[in-house]
Amino acid sequence: MSTVEFHAESLHTSTVAVGRGLMLRGLRTIRRMPSAFIPSVAMPVFTMIAFSGTYFAITKIPGFPTDRSANWFMPLGICFGSSFSGIGLGFSTIRDIETRFYERLLMAPVPRRALIVGPLFTAWSRTAILNAFVIPMGLLLGARFTGGILGVLALLVASFGIATISVGWGLGLAYRFRDMRAAAIMQLTVFVVLYVSNAQMPMWLLSGWVHSAARFNPATNILRLARQGLVSATSPDHMAWSSTWGGLVAIVIMSAVTLAFARRGLDKLDK
Amino acid sequence: MTSVLAEQSLRLSLRQTLQMTKRSTLEIVRQPAMSAPSMIFPIFFAALGASSFGKTTNLPGFPEVDSFLQFSLAATVIQGVLFGSISGAAALATDIENKFFDRLLLAPSTRSGIVLARLAGSALFGAFQAAFFLLVLWPFGATIRGGVPAFLVMVASGGLVSLAIGALMSSVAIRTGSAEAVQGAFPLIFILLFFSSAFFPRETMSGTYRKIADFNPISHLVEGLRDMVLHQVTMGSIAKAVLIPIAVCIAATMVALSALRARLAAL
Repeated sequence: MSTVEFHAESLHTSTVAVGRGLMLRGLRTIRRMPSAFIPSVAMPVFTMIAFSGTYFAITKIPGFPTDRSANWFMPLGICFGSSFSGIGLGFSTIRDIETRFYERLLMAPVPRRALIVGPLFTAWSRTAILNAFVIPMGLLLGARFTGGILGVLALLVASFGIATISVGWGLGLAYRFRDMRAAAIMQLTVFVVLYVSNAQMPMWLLSGWVHSAARFNPATNILRLARQGLVSATSPDHMAWSSTWGGLVAIVIMSAVTLAFARRGLDKLDK
Repeated sequence: MTSVLAEQSLRLSLRQTLQMTKRSTLEIVRQPAMSAPSMIFPIFFAALGASSFGKTTNLPGFPEVDSFLQFSLAATVIQGVLFGSISGAAALATDIENKFFDRLLLAPSTRSGIVLARLAGSALFGAFQAAFFLLVLWPFGATIRGGVPAFLVMVASGGLVSLAIGALMSSVAIRTGSAEAVQGAFPLIFILLFFSSAFFPRETMSGTYRKIADFNPISHLVEGLRDMVLHQVTMGSIAKAVLIPIAVCIAATMVALSALRARLAAL
């Protein structure tokens, strides 16, 4: 093994080890500050119940992709929760910057990328907890996976993808603003991006400005990916490659862009 | 002699309450960042709903409307007013946090006026918000078939709802002395809004959700306002739009004043 190879391997091990350490710290925060985590679990459950009940009648529209409103709104709730799991890490980073704990992390002899990988691992863990809670709740409320295990997998990929995008976005804003002003921007942008899509209705039922905006919004494809295992088997979106690839591309590109945004922000913070 | 003294004391209390009302109203005007979200978000959600649910107005059970925006006008007013009503209570909690409340207590001024002035400021802001939403959405198809009388009743109802919810939140502010606790309690009110017929007609709902919406006073309040938008002003619609918030207002103000008395007794 050459020196360069050895160095690269130890750097990689160090990134994962430090990331894991930061993840454990993030998970401990759930126990110590439940108020910071509970909203990201309560919100998807609330969204699912409230929307499924309020807009129950939209499933009666001829051609609507499912006859169960919980099937339509459970993925929306999970995507909202995942995004809040992600930007929640942005909030805690702001807190660490304000309390100067982050300076200690910056002084530690660890790879810089570990400071992004750590929150990413934490967000994924939180998203796993969220899904483990919300999916059974959805099933209790009447949601049914028509796409079987692959349908569950599609929903999980979308959920983890949104969490990854949100972590990058949340960290990037936290590093730039360095105070709670960033929190409002994080929440606002997540709300707008997720709502101005096919969040509430399928594309063909949208009209006006939302329809125009949703066509270009990557969240539309991610929600289509999330819902493909929950729509009726007769729907053209049901477990189809056409409902999958757009979401995967959106997740990969948006994750790359937001994580690069976070990395550049961290570099600026370092200077 | 006693009655003259009592009259003078009442006048003084009213003057002091009026001055504090002026302060709480100016605070809203001078801190637009605090009130702007409660003006912008409801408009955004109204525009979003109009585009998203525009094709649902032919569903069985949906009332006859010109557009979804017209249907959702009443809900927009109530949503905005609920958002805005929290700012007065949060400001009261901030006064307690930064000890300004203690200075007011040290001054020889009316005690109940401290709370009532905040509530009056909230009510004025709520009425202003209602008028703002009705006027901004009107050119986009949210016409009010009940005309000017309906407009005036809706503005008054906006003020009363703001007063009622402001009073409820003020009791939280007085009990906890924490603006964060007020913000934390607010989602409970928001949940009440969602479990009502504010965003979709009750006739299209079913099961437990329908039963909750049937019992939820916000359903009846919004339906009263909606009646005026879609039809004419009737005694029934006025009763729903005005009497419900008045009833909540009386109960909530009593709770807030009793919380104030408890706080003063503990000093």
